[in-house]
Parts: sequence; C-alpha cells; structure tokens
Amino acid sequence: MVPVARRNLFAEKGRFAISVAGVALAVLLILTVLALYRGWSRAGEVFEQLPGELWAVQQGTSDPFHSVSLIEPPDIERVSGIDGVQAVVPVLSRQMNFAPGGDEQSVRLMALDFGGFPASPDIQERFLPPQGQVVIDETLSRKTGLDEGDSLNISGVELTVAHVGPRGGDVLSQFAFVNFEDARAIFGVAGIVNYGMVVLDEGAQAGAVEAAIVDGHPDLQVYTGKEFAESVRKEIDESFIPVIAILVAIGFVVGAAVVGLTIYTATIERTREFGVMKAVGGSPGFLYRIVLSQSVMLTSAGFVVGVGGALLVARLAARAVPEFATDFQARDLGAVLAATLAMAVLASFVPVRRINSIDPAIVFRA
Amino acid sequence: MDGKQEILRATGVTKVFGEGERAVRAVDGVDLAVHAGELVLIMGPSGSGKTTLLTIIGGLLRPTSGSVFIDGTEITALGEKDLTALRRRAVGFIFQSFNLWESLSVVENVELALNIAGRHGRFARDRARELLTARGLGHRLRFRARDLSGGEKQRVSIARALANDPELILADEPTANLDSKHGREVMHLLRDIARSDGRAVIVVSHDQRLREVADRTLWLEDGRIADMGRVVRDPVCGMSIEADSAVALEHNGLVYHFCSRGCSWEFQAEQAKRVAAGHAVGQGGDR
Repeated sequence: MVPVARRNLFAEKGRFAISVAGVALAVLLILTVLALYRGWSRAGEVFEQLPGELWAVQQGTSDPFHSVSLIEPPDIERVSGIDGVQAVVPVLSRQMNFAPGGDEQSVRLMALDFGGFPASPDIQERFLPPQGQVVIDETLSRKTGLDEGDSLNISGVELTVAHVGPRGGDVLSQFAFVNFEDARAIFGVAGIVNYGMVVLDEGAQAGAVEAAIVDGHPDLQVYTGKEFAESVRKEIDESFIPVIAILVAIGFVVGAAVVGLTIYTATIERTREFGVMKAVGGSPGFLYRIVLSQSVMLTSAGFVVGVGGALLVARLAARAVPEFATDFQARDLGAVLAATLAMAVLASFVPVRRINSIDPAIVFRA
Repeated sequence: MDGKQEILRATGVTKVFGEGERAVRAVDGVDLAVHAGELVLIMGPSGSGKTTLLTIIGGLLRPTSGSVFIDGTEITALGEKDLTALRRRAVGFIFQSFNLWESLSVVENVELALNIAGRHGRFARDRARELLTARGLGHRLRFRARDLSGGEKQRVSIARALANDPELILADEPTANLDSKHGREVMHLLRDIARSDGRAVIVVSHDQRLREVADRTLWLEDGRIADMGRVVRDPVCGMSIEADSAVALEHNGLVYHFCSRGCSWEFQAEQAKRVAAGHAVGQGGDR
C-alpha cells in the first residue's frame, strides 16, 4: 500500500516540523501542568507515611496548616487507655521562620515523642533526629543552601542538619523534623501538644476507636491519616484544579488548531490530487483514511516530542525553582495520548468535509 | 465496426448548466458509439462542450438528459457508489496537466491507482513497474513525479490510466502541454493503446496532428457533434489531408490519397520505376 499520508506530510518538511512543534508545545503544556499538579498533590503525604492510623486533634481543627490544635496532656493519657490503642505519640508542629545566611525562610517544624514506642530505622532516620539535630528535605536544602552538617538557629536553639531527605510532597511549605525536646524549647510550650498520633493494636477497628475517643469529649476530633493528608490537599485541589482545567483546555485547543490548520492547508493544497483520487475511483473512506492518517501521524510525532520536552522542561525548571515539583504518572501520559488522538480526529473533521465537497470533475480543468 | 465490441454508447446526451434565461446547453443531444480498438478524436472550438462531454462519458458529471453505457452498463442510472466502482475498473483518464500525485514517486503513482482498486502488495508494485518500463520509464521509477519532464509525466499518466486494465480510455488534450517530439510520442502511445491493446480511446483535443492517428474525428460545436472524416498522409509530400476531399488512387489493391494530381502522377511514375527495377511497391495505402 502506497503510504500517501506519510508522503504528503513529508513532502513539506518545514511545515511538518513546525506543526509537530506546535502539537509538541501543546502536549508539553498539558503534561507539565498535570505533572505539576500531581507533584503538588503529594502535599500532606507525611501524615500517611507516619505509622499512626488516627490523629486526635482539637475540635474545629480544619487542617494542619491553617488552624492551631492544642491538646492537654490528660487527653493524651485518656486516649492511650482506650481499647484498641497501642500508643499515642504526642506531636508538636508549627510554622516557624528562621534566617539561614541572612535570608528569612519559613518551615513547618514537626516533632514526635515516640517515648518507649519502637520505631523502625527508616522512621528514626526520617522523622526522629537526636537532640540538637534536624532533618530537612531536598527542596528546603536547595532553597536555603543547607546541607548535612550545616548549622541553623531557630528561636535561639542551635541545630545541625543530620540528614537531607528526598524531595517531600509539600512544596509550598517544607517539613523539618526536630527532636521533641528541641521543639518544646523552640515553641516555648511545656505540657501542651498539637496532635496525638494514635497507633492501633493489630486488628483493632479504627471506627470504634475513633468513636471512643470523641465519646463524651467534645473538645477532641479525630482524622484518619488519609483524611488529615487530604485536608492539606484540599486547598491545592480547590485552587489548582480550575487553573489546570483552563490550561489543559487551552493546550488542547491550541494543539487541535495546529493539527487542524496543517491538515486543512495540506488538503486545500492537494484539492486537485484528491480530486484525481476520486476520479479514478477512490472511495470516500479511502480518502478519509489518508486525512486521518496524516492527523494521527502528526499528533503522534507531536506527542513523542512533547513528552520528551515536558520531561526536559521539568528537569531544567526544578533546577532553577526548587518548588517545581513534578510527578509524571502513566495515567496522565495515557490521558494526554488519548487527548492527542482526539485532537487528530477533531482536526480531521473540517478537512474531511472539504474532501467531501471536492468535485472530481475538477481534474479536467486546466 | 467490423463486429468489434461496442465499449461506449451515448444516446441523446444533453447537459444544461443554469436555469431560465441563463441556461447554457453545453452538450446538446449527442449520440456516440465507440468500439474496442478504435481511437476517436473529438475536436471543436474552446467552450464547445468537449470537456463536458468527456466528463459525462467518464461518469464524473451527470447529464441533464440522455444515457451513457460503458460495456453494456448504463452508468447514468448508477448510484454514486456503483459509479465510483465502475470508474475504478472500466475507465482510465489521461489529463492535459498530467494530474500526477506530486509527493509520490513515479512507481507509486501507478501503484496507488491499483491500491484504490483493491490491488496491493507485490502484485501492485510489479504491475506498476511493468507498465512504466513498457513506456520507457524503467530508469525513472524512484523519481518524484514533480522531477520529470512533461513527456515523461504524460507517460506516467498513461501508465496510471492503464493500471486497472480499463476498456475505455479518456484523454483530455493529452498533447497540449508537450513539445512537438513528446506530443508525437504520446500520439503513438494512444494509437497503440487502441490498436494493439484493443481498448476504446476517446481523445478531446485542439491538436490537428492527432487526426493522423485517429480512426474517426468528430467536430463538436455548440454542444452538437458532426463527423469530420478521416485524415490521411500524402505518401509523396507527407502532407496531412482530409481523405474525403483528397485525390484518391487505387494501386495494387490499396487506396492512396494525395494532396494534388501532381503528387499522384509523381507516385505513379515512381511505382513504374520500381516495377521496372523489380522492387516491392505499394506502401502507405489503405485496403
């Protein structure tokens, strides 16, 4: 079978390259925005990574970032005594400013008092530094220039960076983990804690424990780890998704327009040639397949270049802007591929109509 | 026509463009029959309806009235789908401006016509090569169509027209964009297509030279058709002349046509000399 579609596209290499670039830019825009959203949607994941199934907070606490939760020690002790509770880990957490190298930065300090409750080596390394030390993540490290062994001072407490962890999901405000005693000194609190991280006995029903915690104690509220994490993401979803939807729509329209105009122009230019195909017996289906193949080839090439471009842009942008946290997921690649194929079909619609209207008798006009 | 199969019959074909006072009768009651092995030339002034008639015969335009049969099938009664299928297998087109697919190679231009008719793969490729090689284009198979000379393009166009082995070939001004040498080449190719391959060939042209290879020449004016007779070549001076008005001479069972009595006397004198010298005589005449 003669590859008419490919020949037609490659007959004008310059235009083909420009059109592929147009589609690639659309794919790059859509994919980068989606990856950025996925990256930012990892916010709050720390609450899912810690071993507590439930989080006891002060009644009315909306999320860890926008409201303050204060819990008295007796409440922690009472929760510890509930059936099905293995341990309650007191947690201190607060947004704090500090000025490494003179530039003021903000960080969400967090400290967990595991007491005698055993923690895995991984949990120890990531969340439980010894006194006088702090664990930061890669984003904060790059923002502040702090690295392992560097010192910083927060509210008069000297800390040394014990470990720089991988990039966290919280790009707007990074978590830094300090020892519980250091946190008490930094926050200036004695007995009060912010949250109680509840670790359940094996086989215990989370719902039953949650009901027992709040029963008769209207000053307490309980989140699961997932709910607490989602309370952080809610803000990102509410502010980010409408913006993403518009950017994705713009990318889609731009891509479809580029493909559509290219294929339409190629069809108009080859009106006579399509007329000859009709004259010599080319069925409408045969001609549609040529146009659709051209569209699919163009968008496929644009997709491949666009994916490569998006990965490159994400890498370069993350070097320049530490908060540029992207997460390219297979489902998004699949969705964008489906969108580009939809672009191809949509973009073929007008040229196909044009082909329909070509009078094969045109071939006899000089 | 010597019992040869009738390939085309057009009866009372009329085409009117527009309505009322603005109506134009491009073709007016044309009757035409063309047989296998026959090359019919249609001439006439510009705007006389030649191309419109060709377009109707080729099934690309429906007449206002009248009917067209190709190999016994009334194409004017066919639906669009059947008409397209019939064009695919029964009609080959040759155009003034060649109308090649410029982005394709020479061999692909012919192969695509086969693909359109549902013939693919090695068969299509081999058939395309064979048709092109037979027309002296074996060394140009991989060339882009746009890189060929006019004469070569028209030969590709002819090969493409023959790809699906059609019984009827329609050529619209096939020599108009060619120089004298290539025009003559195309003329002889068309004659061969009719005589050797036994196809019916209809040529619309202003080119008087084509009368030399045509079996019949028709004159179309104001949409109406008339027989122009046959053009023959004077064997003495080489001039093309109308057979009906030429000086005719029968010699050794053949009829010779001359532009003047002078040429016929010269011919007779030459034949007498040849007989005296014991050479063969009588070439270029009609039985």
